Amino acid sequence: MKGSLRKFDTPLFFLYIAPWLIGFALFFLIPFGTSVFYAFTDARLPGSVDYNFVGLDNFIDMFNNPIFGKSLFNTFYFVVIGVPVVTTGMLLLAMLLNLNVKGIAVFRAFYYLPTLVPIVATVIIWKLVFNSEFGILNAVLSTFGMAKTDWLGGEHTIKPVIIILQVWISGSGVLIFLAALKNVPKHLYEAAHIDGAGRFRNFFHITLPMISPSILFVVIIQTMYNFQLFTEALLLSRGGPNYAAYTFVYNIYKSAFTDLRFNMAMTQSIFLFALISLITFVLMKLSNRFVYYESEK
Amino acid sequence: MNKPQSNGLKTLGKYLILTVALALFVGPLIWMLSTMLKTKAETYEFPPSIIPNPITVESFERLFSVQPLMWTWIGNSFTISILIVIGAVISSSIVAYGFSRFQTNHRKYLFPIVLATLMIPPSIMMIPSYVLFTKLDWIDTWLPLIVPAWLGGAYYIFLFRQFFMTIPHELDEATYLDGGGRWVVYSKVIMPLSKPIVVTTVIFAFVNSWLDFLGPFLYLKDNAKFTLSVGLQLLIGQTSQDLPSLSAGAFISIIPIALLFLFAQRYIVEGVVLTGSKG
Repeated sequence: MKGSLRKFDTPLFFLYIAPWLIGFALFFLIPFGTSVFYAFTDARLPGSVDYNFVGLDNFIDMFNNPIFGKSLFNTFYFVVIGVPVVTTGMLLLAMLLNLNVKGIAVFRAFYYLPTLVPIVATVIIWKLVFNSEFGILNAVLSTFGMAKTDWLGGEHTIKPVIIILQVWISGSGVLIFLAALKNVPKHLYEAAHIDGAGRFRNFFHITLPMISPSILFVVIIQTMYNFQLFTEALLLSRGGPNYAAYTFVYNIYKSAFTDLRFNMAMTQSIFLFALISLITFVLMKLSNRFVYYESEK
Repeated sequence: MNKPQSNGLKTLGKYLILTVALALFVGPLIWMLSTMLKTKAETYEFPPSIIPNPITVESFERLFSVQPLMWTWIGNSFTISILIVIGAVISSSIVAYGFSRFQTNHRKYLFPIVLATLMIPPSIMMIPSYVLFTKLDWIDTWLPLIVPAWLGGAYYIFLFRQFFMTIPHELDEATYLDGGGRWVVYSKVIMPLSKPIVVTTVIFAFVNSWLDFLGPFLYLKDNAKFTLSVGLQLLIGQTSQDLPSLSAGAFISIIPIALLFLFAQRYIVEGVVLTGSKG
């Protein structure tokens, strides 16, 4: 009985997983293959029929465009400054929400709420709060005697404003850290207490090492996200002012839909893919030195 | 004698920090509600007031009269989300069944590929997918949003498979003895036992679809086909000076998710912790 079933397992297996196989081929393999192909041609539009192979011209073009450097700089800003700020914010919030007081569940729910706000609504709220004329932030600051600031229109303020927005919607990372904090064995703190360790030593010698796998996980996800930062920059300030929020993916979007150079957009996408893969790989390799796994399963 | 008092102070301090931080987090939402209930004129006052005077809902009337498509967009968002939810549950559970119950060597390398697709940065697929959908003549239709959901999402396949692994194989064997085949096991044994994971998938697929902005923004051109998010984005451009109406629009887009969160918080929290996805 069992044997007869097993004989037909392989064809049936492929029948059951067929939806995924088709989806994988159609929505990943084919588009990805096409993009590699486009990157070496002069096909500017999605439907281009007449095209020539141009070798590495698109890549050379990409590096020679001054906007490329700017967008790369902005993106690295969001990775190098944004990721540590957002991750630290998540960890602090998680520690705050790990406090053992009554009603903490209600606090947790309210902290998570902004994370579930659709991004367009988030941007509307951000435009209200940071509005230079009528926003609540400038109103609060003016009671402390500070002059009105044009947060969204300022070349030096737009990037920090986006990073603050990311902290506001960082509930998922907070939940991950919260779960990790709850998994740190209590007896470790008790033992440290007997040894006379203080709060700081507890944090750096017990908490941080014990939750380091979660930190790596969150850092990698946030790094990948910030390399691809786009919607926030698009909706808050259209990449401006003066290209201050012009991220790499924003540049890809403009190449395709404003410049109508899909081949350039594909070239940039491939470059970004290589960059993200490389950085993720380096992060994983480096992490071997810092991440502590209690049980290697 | 001293200890309870200092503990009480400590607790008070904890609540104080929690409340201050909470004010920073919920403050922007309260500011949105406040703006939504103001007259247009009151939003131009400085310094602004938190409690509107008078409290009015005329922002909603303006919103729906300036943008008559609001109801269409809300309907579109629900229709698309529901179609995505149904597709995600059916296709992902079938694929997951394949990956959890079949004896074949192909499982060993194919399942890691499923998981690997979770690591692909979505933005690098943005332009290639657009080109594909152009060639398929799917631009300005809902197909690019709905069809992929019907072809199994890696994340949901993973969730379903994890759950199916916990269902004892004896139940399958018993069904085979009764003369049932693979499909009977899937539809009559496995799925009825999988309600918790179906609920999780329904919630996550709905939230994901409701929160999706980039997909509808790139693929839909005709205003009447827009989802609520893309419609609101259009509204930001059209009535950027009408802050109460914009707030009202933002508020409407938050309600379905907020209600879902209220009733299904446990599922959302568990799902996030498991995979780190926002939902």
